[in-house]
Amino acid sequence: MLKFAWRNLIHDRLRFAVTVVGIAFATFLMIFQGSLLAGFMSASSRIIDLSYADIWVTARGTPCFDFAAPLPERFRDLSLGIAGVRDVHRIASSFALWQKPSGERQTVLIIGADPGSISLFPDPRTQQSTTLLPDVVLVDHSNLKTLGVTTLPMEVEINRHKARVVKEIEGVSSFMGSPYVFTNHSEATRYLELPNERTTYLLVRVVPGAKPEMVKSELARRLPEVDVWTSSEFARRSQLYWIAQTGAGGALLTAAFLGFIVGTVIVSQTIYATTMENIEEFATIKALGASRWTVQRMVLLQALASGTVGAVLGLALTFPTVSLTKTSIPWIYTPRWLPLCMIAVSLLMCFLASIVSIRRAVSIDPGRVFRA
Amino acid sequence: MPEPTLSVERVSVAYGIGSGRVQALSDVSLSFGPGLTLVQGHSGSGKTTLLSILGCILRPDSGRVWVMDQDITKYSEGVLSSIRRSYVGYVFQAFRLFRALSALENVTLSLALSGWGKREARCRAEASLENLGLFAKRHRLPKELSGGEKQRVAIARALVCDPPIVLADEPTASLDSTAGEQIANILQDLASKESRLVVVVSHDARWRDYSNRTLWMSDGRLVNEAQLS
Repeated sequence: MLKFAWRNLIHDRLRFAVTVVGIAFATFLMIFQGSLLAGFMSASSRIIDLSYADIWVTARGTPCFDFAAPLPERFRDLSLGIAGVRDVHRIASSFALWQKPSGERQTVLIIGADPGSISLFPDPRTQQSTTLLPDVVLVDHSNLKTLGVTTLPMEVEINRHKARVVKEIEGVSSFMGSPYVFTNHSEATRYLELPNERTTYLLVRVVPGAKPEMVKSELARRLPEVDVWTSSEFARRSQLYWIAQTGAGGALLTAAFLGFIVGTVIVSQTIYATTMENIEEFATIKALGASRWTVQRMVLLQALASGTVGAVLGLALTFPTVSLTKTSIPWIYTPRWLPLCMIAVSLLMCFLASIVSIRRAVSIDPGRVFRA
Repeated sequence: MPEPTLSVERVSVAYGIGSGRVQALSDVSLSFGPGLTLVQGHSGSGKTTLLSILGCILRPDSGRVWVMDQDITKYSEGVLSSIRRSYVGYVFQAFRLFRALSALENVTLSLALSGWGKREARCRAEASLENLGLFAKRHRLPKELSGGEKQRVAIARALVCDPPIVLADEPTASLDSTAGEQIANILQDLASKESRLVVVVSHDARWRDYSNRTLWMSDGRLVNEAQLS
């Protein structure tokens, strides 16, 4: 039966090609939009994921990492006095104006962290040497052009303070148009002109064996004026903010869903056309004694065979396209599970698309065989 | 193989509704046994409807149908499909071969529907084609065969499951006289040498030379019958 279904399917090669291209396009669109969405989500919590902190202390109502608000540094000392807290580091972060050598200005997000324990976090000293260098900042490779950085080191101005870009880093590009600029905490407070004894985030690590949830509860009880999150909670909060509150996620999801709908319509039309073209053959096979299940299986096999070929082609198109897109959208990212899920979705799409055709093929009157 | 039997009792069939209603068969009772029965009649006389009823493809509005002594009137669609696979072989005027499949695959498909294994089905299908002189052309697509060859492939497909009953609808209407004669001889041999029950519906008067029995139909009724020894 599989052979018969396949041979019938590819008998009209042009129609088969149209079907496969339709499915490939839908699969490509779904994976590409999914990659944008996954990359967007990952990028929106990238800084949080880079830290080794177990707990984040933020100003009340801070929706995500990028929109920080100042909080008093005395909370750091209070936090250090709570049982289970190993150390507390500060991050000062806010938007600032970056002036290129040409005089043009660009909004950037300054991120300055305490040195030391948070080793994954971009820090001028860990990137270059252990000596504290004044006025030193790091920027991501993908933002060099936006920031007008043509040579390294290069002098610029941040909020009218001198700064030197000494090195480019990889993998922490901003997803929202304002590049991240990394420095240490003291430089950041200077560039941002934060009031004395102010910072924006406190990053808490717990002692080995302590439960972050327990320490978080105690911190929240002792610091009622601020929000306290575990790292995963704050990462999820940031992702949710960018996905749900800004509409960006909705747009990406809508495009992926449209890919699914367009694919379903294309496939259902071509599968239906193939079924109708072969309707006399379905009548014959029913007259010869084929059961309803046999006829259903044949149409379904044709749809799934089209789906498999189309999905593989779509996948083959996606990977080079995503690689190419990385040059303009560096945060685009295809998780390993996404192509597998989208193949399953493509096959589901083909199954749904075949339902009308199955009904038509099953209901065909086998008595047609006696008409010349 | 048990002796093939086929009969209808007071069978009536009508198509359409209201003023457009057409009585295709009216109170027809008939029995068939081994041998070749020719059913003749003008267009619209009910021949093809009778063949559809005999082949378990169409259900009568009233009356009863027996196939191999089984009253199939109340059977479900699934059981009727099984009866068709087990007992009936069909030969159609327009051949009804699957255009994407070779002659061999067309014949094998019938066996696949009956649940035969791949290897056994292939051997059996090749033997069936060989019996009809088509072994050398078994890998050809229908479009690469002549009309007579297509009809022989259709006969091979009809016979490959060894059905006791063979129903043929205008089997020579699309063929030249030489090919038609060849097909008529094959069907006659099935009836006389292999004692199968063969019913042929045809306008062609030449079929009378090959039949054991000829029925005439008009306006959905049986109007005459000639039995030859």
